Amino acid sequence: MGRYILRRFLQGIPLLFIISIILFVLMMNMGDPIATMGGRTLTRPEDRLRLTRQLGLDKPIYIQYIYWLVGNDWAKVDLNGDGIAESSGTRHGILRGDFGTSLVNRGVPVIQVIAERLPNTLLLMIASEIVVIIGALLVGIYSALRQYSAFDHFLTAILFVGYSMPIFFVGLLSMYIFSVLFKRWGLPYLPTVGMFDPAVGRTFGQVVLHMILPVLTMSFVSFASYSRYIRSTMLEVMSQDYIRTAKSKGLPRATVLFIHALKNASLPIVTIVGLDLPFLLGGAVVTERIFAWPGTGRLFLDHVARSDLPVVMGILMLIAFAVVVFQIITDVVYAWLDPRIRFEA
Amino acid sequence: MIKKSVSYTLFAIMVAASMVLSGCGGATTTPTISGITPQASQTPVPEKKVATFIWNEEFDSLNPLYTNMWFSTVTQQLWDCWPWNFDENNNPIPNLVTEIPSIENGDISADGATITLHLKDGLMWSDNVPLTSEDFHFTWAMSVDPKNTVASSYPYSKITGVDTPDPKTVVLHFDGPFAPWLTTFRGIIPAHILQPVYDTDGTLDNAEWNTKPTVGCGPYVFTEWESGSFSSFTVNQNYWGKKPKIDEIFIRFVPDNASQIAALTAGDGDLSTFFPYNEIPKLKTAGLTIMTEPTGLNEGMFFLIDTNNKLGNPGLRDVNVRKAIAMAIDRDGIVHDLLLGMTTVPASYWSALPPFWNNPPLVNYPYDPQAAKNLLDQSGWVDSNGDGTRDKNGVELDLTYGTTNENETRSNVQAVVQQQLAAIGIKVELQSYSSDTFFAQDGPAATGKVDIMEWSDGPLVPDPDVYYWYCSEIPTADYPSGSNWQYLCDSQLDALSALQITQVDPVERQKTISQMNQIFYDKVYWLGLWVDPDVWAVGTRLTGVKFSGASPFFNISDWDLVTK
Repeated sequence: MGRYILRRFLQGIPLLFIISIILFVLMMNMGDPIATMGGRTLTRPEDRLRLTRQLGLDKPIYIQYIYWLVGNDWAKVDLNGDGIAESSGTRHGILRGDFGTSLVNRGVPVIQVIAERLPNTLLLMIASEIVVIIGALLVGIYSALRQYSAFDHFLTAILFVGYSMPIFFVGLLSMYIFSVLFKRWGLPYLPTVGMFDPAVGRTFGQVVLHMILPVLTMSFVSFASYSRYIRSTMLEVMSQDYIRTAKSKGLPRATVLFIHALKNASLPIVTIVGLDLPFLLGGAVVTERIFAWPGTGRLFLDHVARSDLPVVMGILMLIAFAVVVFQIITDVVYAWLDPRIRFEA
Repeated sequence: MIKKSVSYTLFAIMVAASMVLSGCGGATTTPTISGITPQASQTPVPEKKVATFIWNEEFDSLNPLYTNMWFSTVTQQLWDCWPWNFDENNNPIPNLVTEIPSIENGDISADGATITLHLKDGLMWSDNVPLTSEDFHFTWAMSVDPKNTVASSYPYSKITGVDTPDPKTVVLHFDGPFAPWLTTFRGIIPAHILQPVYDTDGTLDNAEWNTKPTVGCGPYVFTEWESGSFSSFTVNQNYWGKKPKIDEIFIRFVPDNASQIAALTAGDGDLSTFFPYNEIPKLKTAGLTIMTEPTGLNEGMFFLIDTNNKLGNPGLRDVNVRKAIAMAIDRDGIVHDLLLGMTTVPASYWSALPPFWNNPPLVNYPYDPQAAKNLLDQSGWVDSNGDGTRDKNGVELDLTYGTTNENETRSNVQAVVQQQLAAIGIKVELQSYSSDTFFAQDGPAATGKVDIMEWSDGPLVPDPDVYYWYCSEIPTADYPSGSNWQYLCDSQLDALSALQITQVDPVERQKTISQMNQIFYDKVYWLGLWVDPDVWAVGTRLTGVKFSGASPFFNISDWDLVTK
């Protein structure tokens, strides 16, 4: 297994390299980061020239990519615009762990910019993923066991309503009902935005309260796909001979269900969850924006809007790396759950 | 054995999840979940007054030299200080200086190139270190240092030297008479904090103070900035001016307009701005007060004229076509219907400045589609080929009209303008771009690919200085960053622009600005759509609130929070 994992990691390196080139070229053509630095009026011409030079944006795209990749501390740069490159560069490049500094938050390392947001995103996304998985398991199993019952039809309808609705609509609707209207009606209401109430401070209870609406919003639109997968795989497994054998041996219903059926039924779910997990790092762009949740999704959106290439590339490469890693983990877990799979070349 | 443990584990997970999602089981005691009410105590403690502002953009930097972002600039009024602020009429009022320099009091030299500032007694930074002329010198030096990637080196680049004869006197030497000197020193940075950083790093780019300015000179002092979430400011105990009444300003970053409105109507914010006009009735219904304050900016149309006859539709080089466009668009109707009558139509580029700069005031071109048609007919622009669009000498009046796509009002206005210009035989193709594309050096506006460009703009507020229309600012292959995106070279306008910036006597300068104003009006070089004020939503708890367009929180110390 060790050789298999090592080989997969080595295969991932050229993949990441190619991804980085494609993303870099795409991002370089997104917009001009200097264009929005003038505030409410246009950036002055002399500032455009100076900032373009100081931030290294006047270099050809391949030079900028090389600097991003391996740094520019081996090269000279022209800081004062006299046409003479007199100062040494200060960047080390991502291969040496330096993702550069943000163009928007000038001077702040990209790693720091992302690290400040990542815990908030993981908090929200993991909570949401847990709610979705638990809820989907319960609903999926119940629907499979009570196939075509009135409750199954009812759940199916509700889930598909959730699946069909855009997440921004669910988010705003829930905010309007549980925050604005509930307050107007004199009922206990939930907070609208942020992570805590400034008058109370950042307490565990406050953070949990502020998580309720975004977590439920994300869960509501994700329940359907997960629960339908579980329902269909459970239906398939429950009709297998070995389940019938287990039942005829007189095993308790819970044992048949959770030990014999669910383990095999969960194999496709592992693949789906495994492929979803790396995207948790990228956050929920829409949900974080609506609920003003300070996560990486919002960070990505804010910095894309201002063409902050170092930060955007940092987030995208983090996700790309996570995808490679989680694919390997998924394969390993899959093999562990299914003895028919072996790590052979 | 196994089956039991699995069952118990699943059950435990479900219980834990449900507890978490239920907000830890009744952590609250009163009708609100979000506003956890403090338990009654034996000795009543005065309630801390926390005002919550909702900003829909997060700061990029808090160092005044490193940002032009409006939300960051206005926040500087809380914790940083300027030599002078501006009142609700955008008139300068002394802050760090004893009086505003003028020719009369001798603080502006006869040649207009030297300005002397006299600092007040007792100015202190929040760490109890005196604020002196050295801080002014340091601020200027850092802003023009090529090792610092400051947001804008202008107008500091016009200063050739700063003398500090004593701790309370600052002498600014400009490279010539410089009329917009009031726009200098918008934010002072502390030399005693940042000089050591510069000495060590060789730049201020990486200074921690840029994002955590724990030492300031305003009525509040920076407490915390959590990326993407909030920033907070508490009372500066060493403030040398009037102590504020509100204990803490908590700024929450809410990027989505719909969420911003929901938060305000739910009472989760005391102050906000930058929301769509169509949300104003909802805010008023929720009890918030709407206040507008001119900023000097106007939303307007910039016509691609290109006096070199290379770019754009040749029709726009005909002043009668531009006049016809002015008369064909119902600008009052747009302001009334789309902006709810909250503002007015500007007659000139300087309309949003105080009346002093608009003397004599100009009268807008009327909305008169028939007169517009007549004017086009008289100029030879007729629909000769029957395709529904006017033409002349084989040139169709088929124009592109571009703006940014982040503003819902702009999209609506574009649609109205397209319809109204079609009614007089001018075809318009609508375009919209993200800001970082539209305003890029190689973007559609700068490279002459849009016939009518729309955005909100103004002079160097509150100063009337403009620089876009110098002939030398027309972009070329050697000078691609030029700002004259209309590719317009008018020698008379060029000369007046160069003259006004040297006229330190406001009366003389006003005459020059008036001449420029008249040229703009007569030749319709620019067409105002609406005066673009700051529109503020003020919650019911806030009292004593006034705003200024140039320095919005100039009287923040007078603001208070009351319980209603």
